[in-house]
Amino acid sequence: MTTFDQPLQTRVDAYLMRLRRSLGELPPEEVNEILREIRSHILDRAEASGELTDEKLMRILKELGQPEDIGPLYQAEAMVARARSSFSPLLILRTTIRWAMMSIVGFMTFIVGLFGYGLALGFSGCAVMKPFMWDKVGFWVHSNGFTMGTISAHETARELMGWWIIPFGWTVGPLFVVGTTRFLRWMLRFASRRSPIAAT
Amino acid sequence: MADPLDNWEAQIRKGWLEVAILATLWSGRRYGLEIIRALEERSDLVVAEGTVYPVLTRLRNDGLVDAEWEESDSGHPRKYYSLTAAGKRRTLTLAKHSSEFLAKMTALIEPLLKETRR
Repeated sequence: MTTFDQPLQTRVDAYLMRLRRSLGELPPEEVNEILREIRSHILDRAEASGELTDEKLMRILKELGQPEDIGPLYQAEAMVARARSSFSPLLILRTTIRWAMMSIVGFMTFIVGLFGYGLALGFSGCAVMKPFMWDKVGFWVHSNGFTMGTISAHETARELMGWWIIPFGWTVGPLFVVGTTRFLRWMLRFASRRSPIAAT
Repeated sequence: MADPLDNWEAQIRKGWLEVAILATLWSGRRYGLEIIRALEERSDLVVAEGTVYPVLTRLRNDGLVDAEWEESDSGHPRKYYSLTAAGKRRTLTLAKHSSEFLAKMTALIEPLLKETRR
């Protein structure tokens, strides 16, 4: 069993502590797994270096890199992995924003996603508001085309759906949420196969 | 402000690291430091050794590699990585693309280098 002298152990512990801090809010089991592996790396390197001195250990840690540089790489991987297997629109949208800042495809995906969720909100919103503003909310046909939602009362417009807008909104709204989420997930999967989205 | 050449190199490294790691696993399972040693012997891809581990985590999340802990003779456990069936397919595809890409790139650059050598 490889063990370190006390001063060397303190140095290794300090390094792992800095790494733990830079891992942010990863789940504890992932954090432990990462620290275990990096510790194993240090032990292997130490073993190979013959008699371990403070200088040698410092070189091993230097070659490993700054914990503050490595931690964010793990965080980025974890974020993409969670978003891909998640159905939470918020998490998926957040990851997509990150991607949007890095590539054109990411940006386009983000715009489509925003549009999809926007429509979902619009349809559901109509269904929610109809009972309260029954004379303003609806699917309107007027001189400029169609309006889904509210129009000002003085416009000459015809309402097509009546109270059917409530079941309609409650059906189409969620469908847009599911559809958009599926689309974004699919794009994230596609993207991460091509390039490390979040590795900066 | 970082040197633009440094930045270019860093981008290139990032892109190739995944292919290179998968390639080192082609002949069989390896633990982290073995992968790093193989990369250091045969490439200039590894600058900070610690950056290899997050990539391994990603490959695992993508189902391209499996990982398992095993006790070593030296007394501490090591995490061994091996290619999954999907990982093997992916490695082969990447290897083919890389090889074609490099051949074209070389053909493009070679004349220029010959000219400047003269």
